[in-house]
Amino acid sequence: MTVIEVRDLTKRFGSRTVLDGLSFALGVGTVTGFLGPNGAGKTTTLRVLLNLVRPTSGQAEIWGKPYRELGERRHRVGAVLEASGFHPGRTVADHLRVRCAAMGTGRSRIGAVLAETGMGELAGRRAGSLSLGERQRLGLAGALLGDPEVLILDEPANGLDPAGVLWLRGFLRGLGDEGRTVLVSSHILAEVAQFADRAIVIDRGRLASDSPVTELVKAARQAVTVRTPRAEALRVALTSEGATVRAIAPDRLEVTGLGTEQVATLAAALGIPIFEMTADADSLEQAFLRLTATEERPG
Amino acid sequence: MTAAMHAELLKLRTTRLVAGMTGLAVALTALIGVLEAVTAGTGKGMAIPSLATAAGLRDNMASTGFALLIAALLGVVIASGEFRLKTATDTYLDQPDRGRVLTAKVMAAALAGAVLGIAASATATGITLGFAASRGYPLAIPDPAIARYAGGAVIGSALLAAAGAGAGSLIRHQTGAIIAVVAWGLVVELVVGATVTSLGRFLPYTAAAMMAGDTNGGGMPQIPRGVAALPYPAAIAVLAALAVAVAALAASTTVGRDVT
Repeated sequence: MTVIEVRDLTKRFGSRTVLDGLSFALGVGTVTGFLGPNGAGKTTTLRVLLNLVRPTSGQAEIWGKPYRELGERRHRVGAVLEASGFHPGRTVADHLRVRCAAMGTGRSRIGAVLAETGMGELAGRRAGSLSLGERQRLGLAGALLGDPEVLILDEPANGLDPAGVLWLRGFLRGLGDEGRTVLVSSHILAEVAQFADRAIVIDRGRLASDSPVTELVKAARQAVTVRTPRAEALRVALTSEGATVRAIAPDRLEVTGLGTEQVATLAAALGIPIFEMTADADSLEQAFLRLTATEERPG
Repeated sequence: MTAAMHAELLKLRTTRLVAGMTGLAVALTALIGVLEAVTAGTGKGMAIPSLATAAGLRDNMASTGFALLIAALLGVVIASGEFRLKTATDTYLDQPDRGRVLTAKVMAAALAGAVLGIAASATATGITLGFAASRGYPLAIPDPAIARYAGGAVIGSALLAAAGAGAGSLIRHQTGAIIAVVAWGLVVELVVGATVTSLGRFLPYTAAAMMAGDTNGGGMPQIPRGVAALPYPAAIAVLAALAVAVAALAASTTVGRDVT
């Protein structure tokens, strides 16, 4: 069943096109990473979905309806879009009380969401004195007040320390395990790969990729680095076998398209000595850069 | 609507904004009230008439002039603060009907303005009657007149705060909105009122100040000279119409804009 659907979404701010015919759909109970480099249009997409930004054309719906027309909204969708959208003089507990009042819901879940986000001991603290990581947690607590089926989070890992990132990873995976549909924007594929089932990658407002995270990881290129005194002979042989070979030093080659076993077997057959050979997995970041063509972008 | 209103009132109760602005209004009212009372009847500079006279009592009660302006600024800060502090995102997530949020905000600002007005009015009335009594003067104006001036300050504060909330929604940039309101109260009304005297009584700050007892060119801050006060109900109608008009203008322009 489709929970979130974006169809041919276009948004222009003046002459600048931020979203350019973007379409994707999310099924129920998936944890999806929404990826793209800075300025790709992730935040704008989420804000259009949540009725904060009006699209130039196209539709963005949750459970088949625009956000503002959803019934029982607080139980259906929770969102965190601002890491610092708090009145600095208001306490953590009061912030959540205000959110409850605005949603028209009781305060019975305040204690539970504070505990769930590890903010229980900070209930009396003013928001202005919280660290960025604590503010991220407070945002998540607010989003969970209505115990929603769908969570939409914009860069929730921004500003978190390693312990905070680790906690967030487990937290998001836990939400997915509870059967909630989670859409998390990020610009770090390696991070999203830790907890997401699916990755939607956008670039310059257009869909660049939509696939299970496992496929993206598999697609990441394997490279083999070989050190040999007969580099040119090996290069010719490997190329004839269909590998892509790049000389990175007079005695060193970087080989893609063949694995270590194939390279070693070929070298042995030709009597070419191998002094050193390492297999390097192409980083997910490089795979991400390829998908979004960021390498080609000036500046 | 109830949820939006409840949320807006809770927002005001859980920060120090209303208390701080009310404290500032009371302090300025007290400062001006005491200075006027001490120099009343001396004929020096801008001294008001003796507190033994109706004019002196009325002028001293009208020391709420700055409080009225602060009430308008309170409304501005209540509304524009949502954008300065980026809390508007959560506000509109919780209640996507922005017209409803605006209405709740304007009403909450009016209530906060009334609280500020009550505190300032009580301060001005207390100082006036206290100084008059300490000098052994008989009360030169009847009780209903005292109640009318005090009530005028409260109603004026409430309606100016409501208009301020509309202005703060219309001009999202908080500093810009504050400058606009202060410039309007301290400069534009004086210039327009002095230039077109017949129009002066319809200007919002002037109308509110005159409801609170301010007279022709007196008070702090000053109102235009040569302006006759509007009847009390008409002044209320002018201020209420202003609050509604500014809110409606904001609703049809800035309130629907993208929250990025």
